[in-house]
Amino acid sequence: MRTDTAGLFERIPALLPPGSKPAATADVKRLYSVIEGGPGNRPGVRRYSMLYANTVRVSRALSLDEVLAILESDLALYVAERAPRRIFVHAGVVGWEGQAILIPGSTLSGKTSLVSALLRAGATYYSDEYAVLDERGRVHPFPRPLSIREKEGALSVKRAAVEFGARTGTKPIPVGLVAVTSYKEGARFRPRRLSEGRGILELLANTVPVRRRPKTALATLGRAVREVPILKGVRGEADDAAKALLERLSAHLGSASQVE
Amino acid sequence: MSATESSFPKARQKDLVVEELPDETLVYDLERDKAHCLNPTAAMVWNRCDGQTSVADMAALLEQELDLPADESLVWMALDRLGKARLLEEPVTLPGEAARYSRREIMRTLSRVAGLTLLLPAVSSITAPLAAMQASCIPRSTCKFVLVPPNCTGLPICEQPTKCCLTKNATQCTPKAC
Repeated sequence: MRTDTAGLFERIPALLPPGSKPAATADVKRLYSVIEGGPGNRPGVRRYSMLYANTVRVSRALSLDEVLAILESDLALYVAERAPRRIFVHAGVVGWEGQAILIPGSTLSGKTSLVSALLRAGATYYSDEYAVLDERGRVHPFPRPLSIREKEGALSVKRAAVEFGARTGTKPIPVGLVAVTSYKEGARFRPRRLSEGRGILELLANTVPVRRRPKTALATLGRAVREVPILKGVRGEADDAAKALLERLSAHLGSASQVE
Repeated sequence: MSATESSFPKARQKDLVVEELPDETLVYDLERDKAHCLNPTAAMVWNRCDGQTSVADMAALLEQELDLPADESLVWMALDRLGKARLLEEPVTLPGEAARYSRREIMRTLSRVAGLTLLLPAVSSITAPLAAMQASCIPRSTCKFVLVPPNCTGLPICEQPTKCCLTKNATQCTPKAC
């Protein structure tokens, strides 16, 4: 990371993906350059703030905050695509009774609203952006502050899990339930259960490195959702869906322990 | 290809990643970046497509292994779907008799055996997403370089959340109102 403004470095750590630490090697795989804009040399002229990744210009905006927001997003996506020992799935994740609920979905599908509702209902926070799976199929925390759009069309604001009265997970946990859902006004949440294969397809459609590492992605997802309920259906209010999901997972865990 | 030749269909093997699940089979097509889920019937037929097993033999195997009626039209239906998913070396040409069978007719046959309609051969497919489609938003400058119309990414533009990266014309994506 380099910049023409020394003070900018103080803002960088907050933009790095959770769990980032100084590298042991000096090998640079991606070089970000942030150029801060501001007033120009002549009256009435403003210079753009710019972001480059290696030699490619990623963003140009009058607001430095916008450029830094893009830096945060681009960096997370780069790590998500290239992390060598993890598979990143675009999904919200919470923990409940030691198991993870995965909510895969694209941006604007309502993941964060549902994650927030689950946290208010007592779940533990893991992520509102990516489910990070290891080779055993367990989910690791990726606890960036929740990115909440408070009104349509507005830039999102960051809110910590603790603001919802929730704890943040620290250890990897197995997947207990997958919910493929999107918001539809007035809908009643009555999901149907998908087969394991169809469920994996839904997850693959949200898996970041699927084109780069399809074999690992398929194997990891297969391990992650083995004998796990995968539900699909539209939902109305997030609080109702959250309650239903927690009940479904508790019931599944109860019946699973009875079998054991 | 004649119907006679396609009576001994052969599964494609090159550039595929296969993951066997307890009841289904997942296949990733490296050439087209598509993922397919084969239900038990489609998976059984696909696994028997070795270029030496006839459609009639496959129908008999359906009965033995999945307890389905030994109905060749069921096998042809599976082959038709596997062919459309490009999972066979050559697409099959349905013989006149099989071509006449509609999905409804096959379901009528199967419905005589309760619960078996779920075992109609099915191949579900998705196109694997580009990594860029998994971001929270897409910079305005990047949107213009997404070369996958008509879908573009549909993601909101980072600098203008009221706009999304959508299709402008046949070759270009552009920020437009979401």
